[in-house]
Amino acid sequence: MLDALYHNITNRLNTGILILDSDFNIVMWNRFLEVHANKKDNNVIGKSIFTVFPELPKKWFERKLSSVIQLKNQSFCGWEQRHHLFELSHSRPITTDSHFMAQNCTFLPVEVEGEVKHVCLLIEDVTDVCHYQTQLNKALEDLALSNRIDGLTQAFNRKHWEECLASEFSRARRYNYDLALVMLDLDQFKLLNDTFGHQGGDKVLIDTAKSVNDLLRMGDMFGRYGGEEFAVILPNTDLVGAEEVAERIRQTIASNTVDYQGRSINVTVSIGVAVIEAEDTRYEDLISNADIALYEAKSNGRNRVCLAKQCPTKETIVA
Amino acid sequence: MNAFDLTEDQQDCLQELINVAMGQASDQLARYLDTFVYLKVPKIEQVKSEQLLVTLNQDLKATAVVSQGFFGYEGIRGEALLMYQPQDSNRLADLLGYEADELTFDEQIIDLSSILTTTFLNVFASQIDNQMSYSAPRLLSPNLGAVTQHLQQQAFNWDLALKVRISYQVTDYSFNCDMVLLIPEQAIINIKTVIDRILEEF
Repeated sequence: MLDALYHNITNRLNTGILILDSDFNIVMWNRFLEVHANKKDNNVIGKSIFTVFPELPKKWFERKLSSVIQLKNQSFCGWEQRHHLFELSHSRPITTDSHFMAQNCTFLPVEVEGEVKHVCLLIEDVTDVCHYQTQLNKALEDLALSNRIDGLTQAFNRKHWEECLASEFSRARRYNYDLALVMLDLDQFKLLNDTFGHQGGDKVLIDTAKSVNDLLRMGDMFGRYGGEEFAVILPNTDLVGAEEVAERIRQTIASNTVDYQGRSINVTVSIGVAVIEAEDTRYEDLISNADIALYEAKSNGRNRVCLAKQCPTKETIVA
Repeated sequence: MNAFDLTEDQQDCLQELINVAMGQASDQLARYLDTFVYLKVPKIEQVKSEQLLVTLNQDLKATAVVSQGFFGYEGIRGEALLMYQPQDSNRLADLLGYEADELTFDEQIIDLSSILTTTFLNVFASQIDNQMSYSAPRLLSPNLGAVTQHLQQQAFNWDLALKVRISYQVTDYSFNCDMVLLIPEQAIINIKTVIDRILEEF
């Protein structure tokens, strides 16, 4: 009577139950596994688990079972570490993209008179959990990204860019590395906005950001500093290298034509370049030096690159 | 003295139960892992929920924490935290008898945590004629900043816990980790009942 009850309940559980002997032969399994594995009883009972489920990592599985038998301890295998052990179908084939059932597996020692001769595996379907956790992780990643990115131009936003500069600055100080900063401003952008409207201005910003980004190396950090002002951090770059990059940016922008509603817009940029100097104590010093150079480029007639004054000149000013 | 304080006799008795369990557990682990496992004398103390973070941080600069709940008869239950330091990571697969490429670091420390926790607690449970069940071990977080954050975000529903800290040392593999058992309020009372019974029988 009780046996029949147990049998009935075992076969109605939404958890897989599999009992193995110490030679890895399957002694018993329940309906849950039979259905999800879609295999016939007589091809399974008494057979080696590695024959029935050839997808199992054999060595790993053997070691896992030996720990359960020797230590008489239960052991686990979660979906976060291994998505699944057994290739089973699951109950959300339509609304998730999971091919196999995500599983949490428990290995239980079955102790009879102080000896472990069998191990019971409990296999839970956690496809749901796995699906939602994966979605959550993706959402968190997207959120973290959108926190760093300027929506219009896809460059780093001011806040994130400045954090990058702060950390690059202290790294350069600590290891005595070069560090260069390039600041660029679109020439006569207000006039452009008045002529083509703000959407035309936006298109110029988007295209310019893309052109600049395409010119940079891996490790360079490109951000939108303000309205029509962009800035690039160039780690391990000296003044000569930075001027080269700046000149390349200037020429590319000047030769590009932005298409907007069938009209062509030509834009130029003025650029200021500064490198880290011995007397710079804060990253803001680097920004203001590049800014002064940028101002000089503007007042000298725009569409040009100006370099921040080097130390000797500054000393002269101080003197 | 509050209701959760242990008397000197109770403290001694618990210490002795733990010592015996540690001895047997380290023997079993040594045979399974095929290397010597040293367990240092455990520290038993009470910890307030708001101090948990501070004391855990003082204990070690853990970079990974694996949590596993345990529960037995007579309301004996709690949570085991296994704490790892970064330099512990290199030869774990070796120690566990797996090929290095067979399992990720996360899986290695989860597997090892489960083995250390259940081996110790099984022996401990048998000392007090009990039997433990365990939840699946969970990796709380792979780095310290996140562990601290994780604990800070918890509004604990307990004020006081009994904390037992045991350090494991596997010298052949120059590997250390700490096991911290945290037993919440009601379970402390239940453990005291069990200890009193043992003391009476003794």
